[in-house]
Amino acid sequence: MKAIQEFTKGIIKENPVFVMALGLCPTLAVSTSVQNAIGMGAAATFVLLCSNIIISLIKNFIPSKVRIPCFILVIASFVTIVDMVMEAYVPPLHKSLGIFIPLIVVNCIILGRAEAFASKNGVFKSMLDGLGMGLGFMLAIIVIASIREILGTGGIFNAKILPASYKPMIVAILPPGAFVTIGLLMGLLNILKNKKKSQAHS
Amino acid sequence: MDFSTLFIIIIGSIFINNFVIARFLGLCPYIGVSKKMDSAFGMGMAVIFVMTMASTITWLIYTFLLNADTSIFGVDLTFLRTIAFILSIAVLVQFVEMVIKKTAPELYKALGIYLPLITTNCAVLGVSLLNINENYNFIESIVNGASAGVGFTLVLVLMAGIRERLEYSNVPKSMKGMPISFIVAGCMALAFLGFSGMKF
Amino acid sequence: MKDFIRPTLVLLIICVVAGAILSLIYMQTAPLIAENKLKAEEEARRLVLPDAKYFNPVSDSSTILYYEGYSSDSTLAGYVFSCVQYGYSSDVKTIVGLTPDLMIQAITVVSQSETPGLGANCTKPDFTAQFSGKNPADIYVDKDGGDIQSLTGATITTRAVTNAIHDAFLKLKDRL
Repeated sequence: MKAIQEFTKGIIKENPVFVMALGLCPTLAVSTSVQNAIGMGAAATFVLLCSNIIISLIKNFIPSKVRIPCFILVIASFVTIVDMVMEAYVPPLHKSLGIFIPLIVVNCIILGRAEAFASKNGVFKSMLDGLGMGLGFMLAIIVIASIREILGTGGIFNAKILPASYKPMIVAILPPGAFVTIGLLMGLLNILKNKKKSQAHS
Repeated sequence: MDFSTLFIIIIGSIFINNFVIARFLGLCPYIGVSKKMDSAFGMGMAVIFVMTMASTITWLIYTFLLNADTSIFGVDLTFLRTIAFILSIAVLVQFVEMVIKKTAPELYKALGIYLPLITTNCAVLGVSLLNINENYNFIESIVNGASAGVGFTLVLVLMAGIRERLEYSNVPKSMKGMPISFIVAGCMALAFLGFSGMKF
Repeated sequence: MKDFIRPTLVLLIICVVAGAILSLIYMQTAPLIAENKLKAEEEARRLVLPDAKYFNPVSDSSTILYYEGYSSDSTLAGYVFSCVQYGYSSDVKTIVGLTPDLMIQAITVVSQSETPGLGANCTKPDFTAQFSGKNPADIYVDKDGGDIQSLTGATITTRAVTNAIHDAFLKLKDRL
């Protein structure tokens, strides 16, 4: 695959959330506001990028038997770094993301990419893969968060977008809203995919 | 022994703050394994066991190794909790896998890849971290772990029952599979929302 | 035996390297984190008692009961105490500033996990402003016969804030 495709595949074609259904827990939990979405996306992308690079660098030294514990150790270390740095430099964001920061370590996307890609490819490609998947993940959360925040509070980032007469649909910020939003979005993507397929056939 | 606190924890973790439907923990297996009732039930049992054992082990590790006030080292090592917890969970799941393979090979085959995936189940690490955040003591942590597992199993089995029925319904083509499962989860979440605000 | 040596060694090396790096970063960030915490508490106190320049904690054996606030010329600017009560779905923690004659100067809700859009609005100034100037021994929610306007659809949260302040004040009144 051409280098640039390693990067772009994570954003649309093999989007970790919408296409591969990985990383659902943080996606739904953190998508109550676009600010949280960006924060989580950035943190997860950082961990994904760093762990992909390190694992790709040491892949030849890791005996296959213990590769999963080794991956987990590397990923957990970067997650701990992100946790400490966020608590020190951006405490309000750290507080709103809560336990989902340490939970980045069990984000299936990161372990999945380490196992499926970084342990089998060179550093540069692993870097691109990590960046692409991370950005795809962030994009997915931002899309869901925008819908939930606009419907649920009438605006984004404390700026009102919908007219004042709009009564916020609070259920959008609550758990049911999260599930229904992602269900509808996935359905929508399926419609688009099927349309493309039938266009290709005719 | 404060039974009322324990009762509140049990009801809380099963219904009011259900780990899957209200806290969003444990979603991947929830969507992945809930297609058939028997595998859902088997998975649920395995998760209850792992979550209870994980709560126990991680509480002990935190109290006696990491927390500066009570540990044998006397140094604040709490920043190592993510690593320590996830590694102990990985070891625990490995162990459970070996035991199930020996004692219940059919269940082992039915669960397939989802058994080692319990390691990455956010609910297991999540409950360990929550026990620490809420400052639960030893018994409370174990009870919370077990209740969270029961809550997970409850919702998983409910979902499996619904999905088995959905097989016979006329779901629009683009909503088949995951989209409709999420919508069903949304309806369940709405129902469980009715538990919030319960007070004793 | 040989099968075990190499994997264990690799794991051990990664553990040691990871541990070392994390400890380094910990030593850098831990003081910042502690400082942030103290700063946040100080800021909350300043928010509810803007005239105070510094605060003196007043404790009783091991717990801090309240703070005395003094302005730059060392006159008493008022008192600050915190109170907490369980609301709808979480503990609601409020910090209250009192004038020297024991009326509410201002309040701020510092921690809560109430329903977003309903109870969670208890942190908004539109809600907290109405407490200023009231007598904390005499505040009740409108549904209980008082004049504190409850949040739309969040009487329980409103009650948590109001009653917490009321009860905590009555407990501290004699010592102030």
